[in-house]
Amino acid sequence: MSLSIRPLTLSGFAGEALGFDLTRPLTRDQVTAIDAGMDQYGVLIFHDQHFDDETQMAFSRNFGELEVSSGAEMSKAQDRRLKQMEMADISNLDVQGKLRAASDRMRLTALGNRLWHSDASFRAIPAKYSLLSARTVPGTGGNTEFADMRDAYDALDDATKTEIEDLVTEHSNAFSREQIGFLKVDYGEENQLKLKPVRHRLVRHDTSTGRKSLYLSAHIGAIVGWPVPEARMFIRDLTEHAVQRRFVYSHVWRQWDFIIWDNRTTMHRARRYNDLTDVRDMRRTTIRGDGVTVAQIQQAA
Amino acid sequence: MNIRAVQNGFVGEVTGIDICKPLTSGEVAGIELGMDQYAVLTFPDQPLTDEQQVTFTANFGELEITLAGQMAKPEERRFQQLELGDISNYNGADTTRLRARDDKRRMYALANRLWHSDASFRAIGAGYTLLHARILPRKADTQFADMRAAYDALSPMEKAEVEDIVCEHSIVFSREQIGFGDYNAGHEEHLKPVPHRLVITHPKTGRKSLYLSSHIGGIVGWPVPEARAFIRDLTEHATQPQFVYSHVWRVGDMVMWDNRTVMHRATRFDDLKEVRDLRRTSIKGVGLEVKHAMAAE
Repeated sequence: MSLSIRPLTLSGFAGEALGFDLTRPLTRDQVTAIDAGMDQYGVLIFHDQHFDDETQMAFSRNFGELEVSSGAEMSKAQDRRLKQMEMADISNLDVQGKLRAASDRMRLTALGNRLWHSDASFRAIPAKYSLLSARTVPGTGGNTEFADMRDAYDALDDATKTEIEDLVTEHSNAFSREQIGFLKVDYGEENQLKLKPVRHRLVRHDTSTGRKSLYLSAHIGAIVGWPVPEARMFIRDLTEHAVQRRFVYSHVWRQWDFIIWDNRTTMHRARRYNDLTDVRDMRRTTIRGDGVTVAQIQQAA
Repeated sequence: MNIRAVQNGFVGEVTGIDICKPLTSGEVAGIELGMDQYAVLTFPDQPLTDEQQVTFTANFGELEITLAGQMAKPEERRFQQLELGDISNYNGADTTRLRARDDKRRMYALANRLWHSDASFRAIGAGYTLLHARILPRKADTQFADMRAAYDALSPMEKAEVEDIVCEHSIVFSREQIGFGDYNAGHEEHLKPVPHRLVITHPKTGRKSLYLSSHIGGIVGWPVPEARAFIRDLTEHATQPQFVYSHVWRVGDMVMWDNRTVMHRATRFDDLKEVRDLRRTSIKGVGLEVKHAMAAE
C-alpha cells in the first residue's frame, strides 16, 4: 500500500500519513516515501502504530544511526525505567513505574521540554529526526506543538536575513534549564562535561530541499562575538517571531500515535498536563545527524 | 478635553488639553477617569520640559524614585533628580556619545524588552508610569498588553487556579533571564524578592487583572522550575496579539499607563547608532497595600 499524506495546516506544514504499518519491516521504497514526506512536511503523524521498544528501534534504524538518549546518559543505571540507552523516557514515571513527586529532580528538568527547542541541539552533531510513540496519554493537556523553521525563516525581512546569515550560536542543555531556574550544578558533578556548549549556525541550509531554516532552540545561551544579554534578547525576539501561530501545528495525542519530526527544520514543545495525577508515557528514538553545522572550538590539550 | 478610543477599551488618545500648564482639578479627574476606563492614554504634541513632566505627574500621587538611578553611581547618571528616569542610550551625562556595546547600563536596560510591569520588584509596585518622547530613532515602538482582558479570557478553571497564587518579584529575576547580574555593590536590599498576588483587583474599577512581570522568579509554595514554566505560559497567553497595542512614537508624545492593569515592553532598534531619548516618571501604586500585606503573611 502506498503512503498517503494529508496536510494538517493551511501552509502545508505537518502531514497526517496513512497506509503504512510501521511496526513491520519496511521496503526500501516505503522508507524513501517517508523521507520524501519528511522533506516536504517537516512533521509526519501516523496513527494506530502499536510499537514496543524493539519494533520502534528497528523502524527508526531505517533512517540512520540511533542516538543514545541524553536523559539516559546522564542518569544512573538503577534510576532508568527503560533498559535500552537509545530509548528516551519521555514520561512522568520513575523506575518503579510510579508517578514522580512534585519536587522530583527528573520531573523538574523535564519541565524544560515546555520551552521551544530542537532535540539534541546541544550536541556538536545534532539530531536529524525524532520519533515519538504515545504509549499512554493523559486525560487532558500534554499536547505537543511543532513550529516550521523554514516558513519562519522565509517570513523574515531581508535586513534580518542578512544580519543572521553567518551568526553562530552556542547551545547547552544547561542554558534551557537555567531559564526555568534548574541549575547546572543540579545535574551532578559527573555530568558537567556533557553541558559544555557546542556551536551551531543559526541559519541552516537543507541540502535535500534547498530551503533555509532557522536553527533555534531553548538550548541557545549565546551568540559568538555578542554580549550575552544582547544575544539572549535577540534570540528571544527571533523565537517569538518563529513560533507565531501561523507557523505552528498543535497535536492532540491519541494512544498509539507516532510522530516523526525533523529537528533541522522544526522546533517543538510539550504543553502542560496534570502530571501529578495523570500518566503520560511517551518513548522517543532519535536519529543522529550527518555532521556538525559549523567548526567546533578545539579542546585545549 | 477629548478622549478618542485608539484600541477598544484599552488605549485612548487625549486631545484638547495642554499638559505643559498647571491643570484644573476637573482636568485631573478627567484624566484619572480616562485611565480607569482605558489603561493607556496617549497625549500627542506635548512639548514638556523635565520640570513640567514632574509637575504634571505629581497631579496623580507621590512620585517614585527610579531603581536604575538609585543603584547607579552619581557619575553614571544623566539626571541627578532621582524621580526622573533616563530612558535613553546616551553615555550618562555625556550626550555626545552613545553607550558602548558592552556598557553595563546598556545590558541592564536590554531587559526592558521583556514584558514587565514597572517596579513590580518593590513591595508597592508602580501605579501610573508616564513616558515622554524627546528624540526618536526610525522605529522603536513600545508595546502594551491589557492584563484585564487577559484575565477575563482565562477559563473558569484557570481563574480558580491563579486566584490565590502569590509570586515573588525581583529585578534580579528579569535580568537573570538574559544573563545579566553585574550590579554595583551595596544594593542588596533592592534585589531581595517581594511577594505580590498574581490576581489583583483594581481599587477603583473593581476589575481583576493578571499582575504579571518579567521580574517574577517564583511562586510561593511551588518548585522554582514549575513556577517559571507556568508564568511563561501565562505570560504567553496574556501577550497574545488581541491584547496588545503597539505605540508608534512621535516626538512630543506623552504616554501614560497603569502598571496595575498593563504590561509593557520596549522593542529593538539600532541603539549603537541611533539616539532614543525618553524621560520617565512614575507614581506609587496606591490602593493595593492591603492585598500586598495579605500576600506577605
